[in-house]
Amino acid sequence: MNKILVVDDDTDILGLVEIMLNSNNYSVKAISRWQEIDSSINIFQPDLVLLDVSLGGADGREICKGIKMAKETKNLPVILFSANPDMGKFIEDCQAQSFIPKPFEIKYLLNTIQSFLN
Amino acid sequence: MSIRKKLILMQVFTSVLVLVIMFLVFIITDVKAFKQRKVNSVRSIAQVIGTNSISAIQFQDEAAAMEMLNQLHKVSPDITQAAILNSKGQVFAQYSPKDTAALEVPAFMKDSAYLFTKNRLLVTYPIVSSNEVIGKIFLVVQLNELKQITWNKYRLAILLLIVAIGFTFLIANIIQKYISRRLLMLVNTMKKVNRTGDYSTPLVDEGKDEIATLITVFNRLMAQITENVKKKDEFIGIASHELKTPLTTVKGYIEMLKMMEHEAPKKQFVDSAFKNVLKLEDLVKDLLDVSKIESGQLQLEMEEFDVSRLLEETIASAQMISATHEILREGEIKEEMICGDRKRIEQVLINLLSNAVKYSPGEKEVIVTLQKNEKELVIRIRDFGIGVPEDEHELIFDRFYRTKGSSVHISGFGLGLYICRDIIRRHGGKIWIESKEKGTIFNFSLPITGQTQQVAQ
Repeated sequence: MNKILVVDDDTDILGLVEIMLNSNNYSVKAISRWQEIDSSINIFQPDLVLLDVSLGGADGREICKGIKMAKETKNLPVILFSANPDMGKFIEDCQAQSFIPKPFEIKYLLNTIQSFLN
Repeated sequence: MSIRKKLILMQVFTSVLVLVIMFLVFIITDVKAFKQRKVNSVRSIAQVIGTNSISAIQFQDEAAAMEMLNQLHKVSPDITQAAILNSKGQVFAQYSPKDTAALEVPAFMKDSAYLFTKNRLLVTYPIVSSNEVIGKIFLVVQLNELKQITWNKYRLAILLLIVAIGFTFLIANIIQKYISRRLLMLVNTMKKVNRTGDYSTPLVDEGKDEIATLITVFNRLMAQITENVKKKDEFIGIASHELKTPLTTVKGYIEMLKMMEHEAPKKQFVDSAFKNVLKLEDLVKDLLDVSKIESGQLQLEMEEFDVSRLLEETIASAQMISATHEILREGEIKEEMICGDRKRIEQVLINLLSNAVKYSPGEKEVIVTLQKNEKELVIRIRDFGIGVPEDEHELIFDRFYRTKGSSVHISGFGLGLYICRDIIRRHGGKIWIESKEKGTIFNFSLPITGQTQQVAQ
């Protein structure tokens, strides 16, 4: 079972994504505080990170850059998602694998995630 | 009348008025001086004749007096009539050309007086011998010379006036530019701002007068508007982000329910909830698009694609949503490659197709055609619905415009056609509407590949 770390400061969306992914046979850890990302990656060891861009005090793009910079996590796939569709322009800059604009269709979310898991 | 013409006219009028008054004063004083000189000279002539005729009167020598008057006429031809009167006022001797009326001395004229009639000067002068008035001289002078001089002066004045008007016109034309140029600049900028909605460029002016104040106030207003527009765009950006966040959750849960639910009535509720969430999503997308258009951030992602195929796909998906209408494709169907933003063209098509369905309730058909000429592709979407009145043909492409007097309830912000027009214009194409006896045709054109370039707006 693939493990996915979901980060979003909106707990409603967090709950939704958790249920969506759980019901499609993913193991999910959902966190709303960006400060917990590093420790969560260490303990949970996810196969993929689904990361919101505006995280209330932090920028998902910067966090993504940080993940890609660190030796042990540089191969960890990161998918950004945001209600601002313009954020899609920045995925190359912060080396994210993909971008999902909100609101999204379940099928689209699942397909995108699956395409980055072997 | 333009401000330019008014300024010139004002200056020319002022100059003409001043000059006319000046010329009149000069001519009147001149004529007056001339008359005074004439009177003085005639009076001195009369004095000389008077002195010389004392003996002729005393000795009643009429012949001598006549001779003297004849001599006078030879010396001063403008003295046309002359007479010597005795102390009782009776004519003693006179000279008068044959063709003129008999000489008459006006009774009211005293011994020493002068009188200007229409073009004659009448002068009387007393003949005094040993402090006693023994008679008087009466002279009539023709004033043709005065008439000539006056006429000459008027002619000169008119000539000078014309020259002056010419010069004033030239000078006024130069001076007015300083005022009108700046006003025209302001007016043109205002017109431009009105047309383009670009409030960002301030006017430059180095003057210190009221026009400068006007320009400063205008600039300040423009700055305020720019600031407000920026705030509004930011607000729309934030608002659409804020709306999308809860929408994501609602949409997600409904979608999950939709997948799980198979019982007929419950499925209907969920379907309906999901349909409305999609509507809400479209509204938010429209708001965001308008905000992008207004702030100039709407960018096209150009690629080469087959319009004909896009048309087929869009009609198919529109057909799936509409159970009431049949969307028909007419004409020959073959590949038509074009360079443009596929997603945005699709957005335009969806918008026009859903309008066609929405505004033709009770009808069954919407007809789509794709035509090609040497320069462009024209896509026509024909409905048989309520139609659009002629006077609204331009207005319906405006922001927030909602058709008036329609019996159909219309949802949405009234932004769809505004967005469509912007997208088509950015592709270098046109969008327009034709009214038919029944219903409407929406047309839009796209330049054929090789000519399509993203048009900066």
